[in-house]
Amino acid sequence: MYSGLNISQTDARPMYLQIMEQIRARIAAGDWVAGKELPSIRALAAALSVSVITVKRAYLDLENEGVIVTRHGKGSFVADVNGLAGELQEEKLDEHLAAAAGMGRQLGLGDDELAARLRRAIRNLDKK
Amino acid sequence: MTQTKHIEMYAVRKSFRFFSLRDLSLDLEPGQIMGFVGPNGAGKSTTIRIAMGLLAADSGEVRVLGCQMPEAQAIAKRDIGFVSAEMRLLPHATLDWHMRFVASIYPGWDPVYAANLVKRFNLRPEQNVRSLSHGEHVKAVLLLALARRPTLLILDEPTTGLDPVARHEVIGEFMDVLRDDSRSILFSSHNTVDVERISDRITFIDRGQMVDSSDKEDFLERWRRIQLQLPAGKMLPELPDVVSRVNDGQFITLTTNRFSDDWLARLGDGVSAVQRMNLEEIFVANVMHHREARGQ
Amino acid sequence: MSIVTRKLIGKELYVNRWFIGGGALAGLLSVGIASLGKTGFNVGALGWITAIIAHGVMLAIYGIMNERKEHALQFVLSLPVSIGDYVRAKLVGLLLCFLLPWFLASGAALILIFAKADIPDGLAVFAVLLSVFMLTNFSLVLCGTLHAMSEALISAVIIVTNMAVSLFMFTVGALPAIQKTTTAKVPDWNPTFWTVLLVELAVFFAALTLPLLFAARRRDFI
Repeated sequence: MYSGLNISQTDARPMYLQIMEQIRARIAAGDWVAGKELPSIRALAAALSVSVITVKRAYLDLENEGVIVTRHGKGSFVADVNGLAGELQEEKLDEHLAAAAGMGRQLGLGDDELAARLRRAIRNLDKK
Repeated sequence: MTQTKHIEMYAVRKSFRFFSLRDLSLDLEPGQIMGFVGPNGAGKSTTIRIAMGLLAADSGEVRVLGCQMPEAQAIAKRDIGFVSAEMRLLPHATLDWHMRFVASIYPGWDPVYAANLVKRFNLRPEQNVRSLSHGEHVKAVLLLALARRPTLLILDEPTTGLDPVARHEVIGEFMDVLRDDSRSILFSSHNTVDVERISDRITFIDRGQMVDSSDKEDFLERWRRIQLQLPAGKMLPELPDVVSRVNDGQFITLTTNRFSDDWLARLGDGVSAVQRMNLEEIFVANVMHHREARGQ
Repeated sequence: MSIVTRKLIGKELYVNRWFIGGGALAGLLSVGIASLGKTGFNVGALGWITAIIAHGVMLAIYGIMNERKEHALQFVLSLPVSIGDYVRAKLVGLLLCFLLPWFLASGAALILIFAKADIPDGLAVFAVLLSVFMLTNFSLVLCGTLHAMSEALISAVIIVTNMAVSLFMFTVGALPAIQKTTTAKVPDWNPTFWTVLLVELAVFFAALTLPLLFAARRRDFI
């Protein structure tokens, strides 16, 4: 019974997105390696107490993104693409940077100011 | 493997003195969970009783597990587990007696699973049925239905009256049933949180009529609440699929049941927020909309 | 008769086991008391009638009315049975529940009449008619409660049929042919006796057949 994922109904994001995020996170972290078999849709649905249709949607979207591969009759597997973990990490980074850019705009910061703040954050990281 | 639908109700009508069920159609495929949601008195229990053969429809077709209802109910019920919140077991007997009674009738009874459920539901088989609390009673009835591993489970408010822990256990058991894609569940509930979580399909019913029936994810994707702030003088374009509109000066709240990026684009610049709606909000908006449309 | 119908009949006997035991005991006890002298006989006879009637009433109330009220009916109907199977099982089951104590009590009463010297054997004629009357009465209650949907109606049926017992005793008991043999030393199974018995049995069978024709064919049960 794989219940390592956690779906919250009080989270604003839809359940299928939460499932996708958590699967991507595990692949990015290297916990789920390339070629690893994912739990079957029904098994995961039962383990999470979430409807089958939601898990199906998550798996379908992950497959469209190329993160997983479904072999008819055999199951779903983590895509065996070199650097997939790294790719997913970079996607996450881009998401964070986009959010930062948005906030910068809202605060009225200029482009240089924003870049300066980023460099400061990197220096703080090196100091630790 | 045969792909006969587990429940097929078509244009079902049933009239009582003060209430009538009209043009009800409902389909349940194997491997699915359908949540049946409606206000009190909407006709959920009536529909379920018609499906179980306990009431005969005035007109329309009712077929469950391929059997015509109510005529062939004795055959259909071999593979149906029926639980309703108001159902009571036989007085003057223990839970253990009931388990042996049910086991002697159904060849599919799984004694190991039954013993498991007794423990999980925290029940005592030697206890007389009369001394069970409401929650324990419901769990006992569910146990008797689940341990037979029926192909179809028909549940009328199965979690009403259960404490949160029991509810969690029971929902877990339902989902376990669906590991087998040849089994299915129809359950009616007020608890929109549970329905939203575990249903594959959802049917809304109000005042004896079906209001909407669709895949759960479809509902969640189609319905949105949009907050707009229009500067003075600016007007909103006429848009279809607006279920409700609330004006508060410059601030407008729209509810739509056919959301898409194109539709959103036509609203123009004033949009300040696009909110998803949970099942409860969708349900209330849907019912209100239909009552208005019917002039009620 | 399907397996499930048989199981339901068994369930009827099990669920009402205390009534069956209690009814049989009360009946036998009353006969015992009736064997003790004149006052004992009057008390015992009254007790005997009361025991059998009360047993029938209990079965009607707890066997049918309460099952519906207490929503245990939904549980029984969730089993693989048709409405017809349910009615048949109820009919046979509750009849058996009544027959057991009735048979014991009636048999004991007849044995007492024939065994005791100071009780005229002719009383057996009236005793048989009274006994079969109470059986017929119960069958009417059963028939009524299987058809009636409301609690009030069921209660009315129970009350009316029980008032009828006194009526029976005063009318049939007063029939000259019956009265004559009641005090006789030897029972006179006269034509009047056979007529009354036949009428009782006819009503009994009619009361049992009616549910099979009507209640069992019902399409709406809850």
